[in-house]
Amino acid sequence: MNKLKLNYTSLSFLPILVCIPLGYQLINNIHFGGFKLFQEFLISAFNPKIDNEIIITVIKRLNETILIGFFSWLVSIIFGAIFGIISSNIFYKIFNIPNFFYRIIRFFLTIIRSIHEVVWGIILMQIYGINFSIGIIAICIPSIAVNSKVFAEQLETIDYKNFESINQINAPKFSSLLTILWNPIINTFKNFGLYRLECSIRSTVILGLFGIGGIGTSIFLSFQTLNFRELWTYLWSLAILIILSGLIFKKIKFNTTNKILSIFFITVFFITILFSFSYFFYFIFHNNFENFNSVSSLFKSSSDLGLFDYLKLILETIILSLLSTGIAISLPPLVIAIFNNNTSKIFIKIFAFLLRLIPTPVILLTLLTFNNPSLSLAALTLGLHNAGITSKLLFTNLESQDRRNYIAMKSLGISKKTSWLFGLFSQQAKSYLAYCAYRSDIIIRETAIVGVIGSVGLGWQLQESLSSFAWQEVTMVLIAYSSIAIVGELINGKIKNSLT
Amino acid sequence: MNNTVLELENISYKYKNVLILNKINLKINSGEKIALLGKSGSGKTTLISVLNGTIKPTQGEVKLFNESFEELDRKQKSKITTIWQDLRLIEDLSAEQNVNCGLLAENNFYFAFKNLLNISSFKKAHKYMKLCRLHNSIYDKKIRKLSGGQKQRVAIARSLIQESNILLADEPFNNLDPKLITTIKNLLLENVDKNKTKKSPKTALVALHRLDLLNDFDKVIGIRDGKIFFNIKRNNLKKIHLEKIY
Repeated sequence: MNKLKLNYTSLSFLPILVCIPLGYQLINNIHFGGFKLFQEFLISAFNPKIDNEIIITVIKRLNETILIGFFSWLVSIIFGAIFGIISSNIFYKIFNIPNFFYRIIRFFLTIIRSIHEVVWGIILMQIYGINFSIGIIAICIPSIAVNSKVFAEQLETIDYKNFESINQINAPKFSSLLTILWNPIINTFKNFGLYRLECSIRSTVILGLFGIGGIGTSIFLSFQTLNFRELWTYLWSLAILIILSGLIFKKIKFNTTNKILSIFFITVFFITILFSFSYFFYFIFHNNFENFNSVSSLFKSSSDLGLFDYLKLILETIILSLLSTGIAISLPPLVIAIFNNNTSKIFIKIFAFLLRLIPTPVILLTLLTFNNPSLSLAALTLGLHNAGITSKLLFTNLESQDRRNYIAMKSLGISKKTSWLFGLFSQQAKSYLAYCAYRSDIIIRETAIVGVIGSVGLGWQLQESLSSFAWQEVTMVLIAYSSIAIVGELINGKIKNSLT
Repeated sequence: MNNTVLELENISYKYKNVLILNKINLKINSGEKIALLGKSGSGKTTLISVLNGTIKPTQGEVKLFNESFEELDRKQKSKITTIWQDLRLIEDLSAEQNVNCGLLAENNFYFAFKNLLNISSFKKAHKYMKLCRLHNSIYDKKIRKLSGGQKQRVAIARSLIQESNILLADEPFNNLDPKLITTIKNLLLENVDKNKTKKSPKTALVALHRLDLLNDFDKVIGIRDGKIFFNIKRNNLKKIHLEKIY
């Protein structure tokens, strides 16, 4: 008998097997109490509420969302680039600094990155109270670390020989550094800037669900009052905002040879740095730190969390991440392969956009209308939301791919689905899996959000511990989160390296 | 009078346990035009990389103007310029910006910044690009849009603009047509001749594959398996020498 041999294509479909245990638990947990609500939710999508009052609220809330999202994006992309430079090996090669420092900075950034902005937001809200700037700070902290990783990875693709060549000219170190890094940084900004802006807006919405403000708060309030028509008004306006920001971003041509535009960007760069530092010091010296005292009880407070429960929560979080990742990897190629015609593709794209648009807590709460809270439901929610993101990437890559193999296979009389699978998808499978490895890092972090709502894993425990000011438990949960995220990132890094 | 400008003392270089250079001793005097011969993989590029300080030898010492290379400051090290076999140009920059990179050593950070923003002066760059027979229509074109021969000449212009005392070139005539080879060869080696009368004469070491280009060189060095097999005057080069290295 022949041995089973896995390739990148089959590996892209294999994780869908997670649907077997997941589906089993979901079917067992089904209830019919909320079907009417779910039906109402779906119908409201086509009949959103539009009147003067809600339009004024939408404008006000969108303004807040844009302000928080845009400023957190601007600050995190600029500081992300700076930290990206100092956490990339090329910086250390130019300045002959031992790699030891590079490892310390990377480790530090990994820890910061491992904690989701919602967790940062909840912690900061507990300490400082609800505050507009808390939203920006909560998004900026992990986003700077995430962006720094993106920039550092791009900078490490610089051909070392180019560096040697500039270095051999024996220019001042900073001149060499600037000459070598300038274009990769601009290109990273061009390629990832829009995506990161979208991420910042989404994070603002998610934090809004926890009361920070912006359209997220309105979404959550209208959901709690079961006012679905109002909810869809907010969701559609958010969709318009994301689409518009994408169009504006694409319109701006980041031509580095355009002197006026370059000077404008450099001015924005320095003003943002100056403003960020000024604001940081203002925040430090003009804040009421009374609540901060509660942090001093970090090691004094007792913990009711037993070792067994603690390990159970960690295990739940790991399983939740694995199940969600399985769905996020396999669902998009599977659906595209099955419904492989132009009309279906339009519907898949719209559905994927909605999955990206609707915040995960709202998806979860909607699914809770006909299913009991469980690990599987939380995994399905997270998996669907991330499948929306991975499908966008898959569509973009497939559309830009050379179709000659596909056409050649079809001309041989091979079916459309098989030709798509072997003529198109098989060539994308490797890079798709590499992206999914990166995505699974984010999924691990996002387990915190669904955990808080869906009573699963460490996210739920974190919310509970924070509500009861059990700081020792909070510390334990955060350590567990960081450890899972760091180990996950290490494993995914290995997988990604083997794929690229 | 021959003054030693570059000296290799008992240089060995190992990469992943493979000996690339094996106990090389070499003296290069000012004003000399040296051709470096050897088949592919013989160690020519590694030798050039050791000479310009890009690669630190596993054993031995490199001396520039009788001083250990390690102890020299940036300005002194910039007396060497290199034309790399793989050119090592920055693909995202224009041809003139790449040539201007050759001026980074003698200018400050602000110049590098202006060069990237395309607002620095390209007067000197254009002069050298013109010398290298580059047409002004390609001055502002990105490197990735140029042909192999044009890229080669941009790399040569970037090297020449440094006006360094010592030129190291690793197969600089690749990608060039026969007419251009003569022009560029004259440009590289004339530079050496022109400065012989000056106080700090220019010196050139050029790695070559084509034997028909040896005419203008004073000396020929033959390298094989990381070892120098001969270091003789060009007039003394015989078939037996070449048989040793090819």
